[in-house]
Amino acid sequence: MAEAPIQVQKLSKRFRIYHQRSETLKQALVDRRRSRYEEFWAVKDADFQVTEGETFGIIGANGSGKSTLLKCIAGILVPDRGRVAVRGRLASLLEVGAGFHPDYSGRENIFLNGAILGLPRRYINSVLDEIVAFAELEQFIDNPVRNYSSGMYTRLGFSIAIHMDPDILLIDEVLAVGDEAFQRRCMDHIEEMRREGRTLIFVSHAADTVRKLCHRCLWLEAGAERMLGPTDAVVDGYIEEVNRREMAALQQAAEATSGPGWMGVRITSLRVLGPDGQEGLTGTGEPLLVRIGYEAPAGGLNRVRFRVSFHPADGPELVSVQTDDRELGERSLPGSGEVALTIPELPFLDGVYGTKVEIEDIASGRPYVSLDRPQSFRVHGPGRREQGMALVGHRWELPVSDPSAVSA
Amino acid sequence: MATTEALREGALASRPRAPQSGPVARHLELLWELVRRDVRARYRGSVLGIGWTLLNPLVFMLVYALVFGSLLKVQGPSGKSYLVFLLCGLLAWTFFQQALVMAASSIIANAGVVRKVAFPWMLLTVSTVIAALVNFLISLVLLVPFLIVSKSPVGLPLLALPGLVLVTFGLSLGLGLMLAAGSVYFRDLQYIINLATMVWFYLTPVIWPLTRYQGFFGHGKLGLLAHVVIYANPMTWVVISFQDIFVFNRWPQHWHGLIYITLLAAGLIWMGVRVFRRLRRRFAEEI
Repeated sequence: MAEAPIQVQKLSKRFRIYHQRSETLKQALVDRRRSRYEEFWAVKDADFQVTEGETFGIIGANGSGKSTLLKCIAGILVPDRGRVAVRGRLASLLEVGAGFHPDYSGRENIFLNGAILGLPRRYINSVLDEIVAFAELEQFIDNPVRNYSSGMYTRLGFSIAIHMDPDILLIDEVLAVGDEAFQRRCMDHIEEMRREGRTLIFVSHAADTVRKLCHRCLWLEAGAERMLGPTDAVVDGYIEEVNRREMAALQQAAEATSGPGWMGVRITSLRVLGPDGQEGLTGTGEPLLVRIGYEAPAGGLNRVRFRVSFHPADGPELVSVQTDDRELGERSLPGSGEVALTIPELPFLDGVYGTKVEIEDIASGRPYVSLDRPQSFRVHGPGRREQGMALVGHRWELPVSDPSAVSA
Repeated sequence: MATTEALREGALASRPRAPQSGPVARHLELLWELVRRDVRARYRGSVLGIGWTLLNPLVFMLVYALVFGSLLKVQGPSGKSYLVFLLCGLLAWTFFQQALVMAASSIIANAGVVRKVAFPWMLLTVSTVIAALVNFLISLVLLVPFLIVSKSPVGLPLLALPGLVLVTFGLSLGLGLMLAAGSVYFRDLQYIINLATMVWFYLTPVIWPLTRYQGFFGHGKLGLLAHVVIYANPMTWVVISFQDIFVFNRWPQHWHGLIYITLLAAGLIWMGVRVFRRLRRRFAEEI
């Protein structure tokens, strides 16, 4: 059996986190400033092989060492322990774009990248038009790449990488950039390279893509292998873990209370519940219940207004609802208690949302107290056809049979 | 757009595999590509184009000739043309200095590539030194009119030039490799080298003939120090050999100096490669 194209053996990579760094000779020599740093292991004991023709995925949270591992395989970083053996022509797409020199034109960068990968100039000449066409850069190929948009940059990088006819292609999250059409063409090409029996390593946290493409997966956690095996098993485990973490974070946040506001009014609890009374978890079109505990030491709440607003995890307000002034204005609420708001059919799409509660005086508009929980609930979306924040009812007519008859 | 569409559809599968250059050829091809780029970068967006290579030493020569030749009455050695004397030293010096300055920033200037692609990064430095060499060879043309006007004959000793240039190349490359790698860790090295070469220039007998210096600082401690500084400076030997060839039309006279700089060049390259190899391990992290 032929040797595996990629062999990673007991690979560990250490980084320095500088607390103080002498970046100049002056600091090092004149000021006698010593660099002080902590070391941390970005990758610990990674050990696996990727066999010929296999598509191998690496998943994990941000900062789990995926990119570092990939850079070690690409030979850009030198591991501190262990070793990597790569057999065949390797091209890589690390983060945004390949290695370009900003001052040189797209064309010059193509030649340079080709030469770096060891391809003869005449071969690059023969595929130049294809590279440019695939990247859709016909008009800009002689402009310096520093003037390119990030989309153009990525397209050129991808186009170069696949046309350099690599045996091994390393891809790091790049497909997240660029428009839908280009992403589709990239995926088509990746599919094709798979079929041709090339070896691919694919780093991503997009579980869907990984599931679709990869035969086997490595799940990294804090630099170490958490799981290695068939894609479905690893991705399932990973998603389960992500969900569990998210829930734990939500539950922890549920204990949120506010400090005392005007007149000592406090919000003592803010809970956001889904259909089964589950804390912080609901779906598009399903009910959402917001329960607000309060405390008003100075004899209850009179002529107040409750307002609840929702916003994306760290975005601006999406929508707010408030109590009816005439109705609640005539009544007073006891010194402590709980109020609840039900949204029978939540229109929000997939995502994590925040909830903000405000209690204010009707007459003056002066707030008594407010409380914001930036990540208070998770909504599972209905599918891929809708994108954005809210579900809108819709109906397609494809094609319109009688143009004059269409009306809302 | 039909053709482009067709190209886009043209899948990889239908094409035969790309040829792969051999291990030596691929490095030469890459080096060639880098040198092209570095040489062209110098002339990019400038009206004068290659004229810069000629104009730069020419202007310096005229300025020095004016200040030192006319105002301070420095003369060429034993009645020879001061202009030719100045120019040949200046060309040799400019080569060395440019090579060092360009080499010092060669890795940092390519940060985008170093962070993303693995290849022998040393070639980035080597190519800048070669680019400086190319500029130097072009600038040699400048000497022709001055040699003609001053009626200075040049003959067989010209054959010593390639060897001399090679040694100068070696000196710059060895130092350049250390500077290039060091600059990744110490950013001010690039500025320091600018300053250092300026001082170094005045310590090298480019604008003053070495014969003039003899005994200038007396025979005390200062004289000894000056002696050591001037003769340990490899560029002293390079420059006076250039002057031998172009000013005196004779074979370089100081063979002990030439042996010294040849050994030094070899030593510097050896050390430069070692230092570079050692420091390159963390380039992608530190850059």
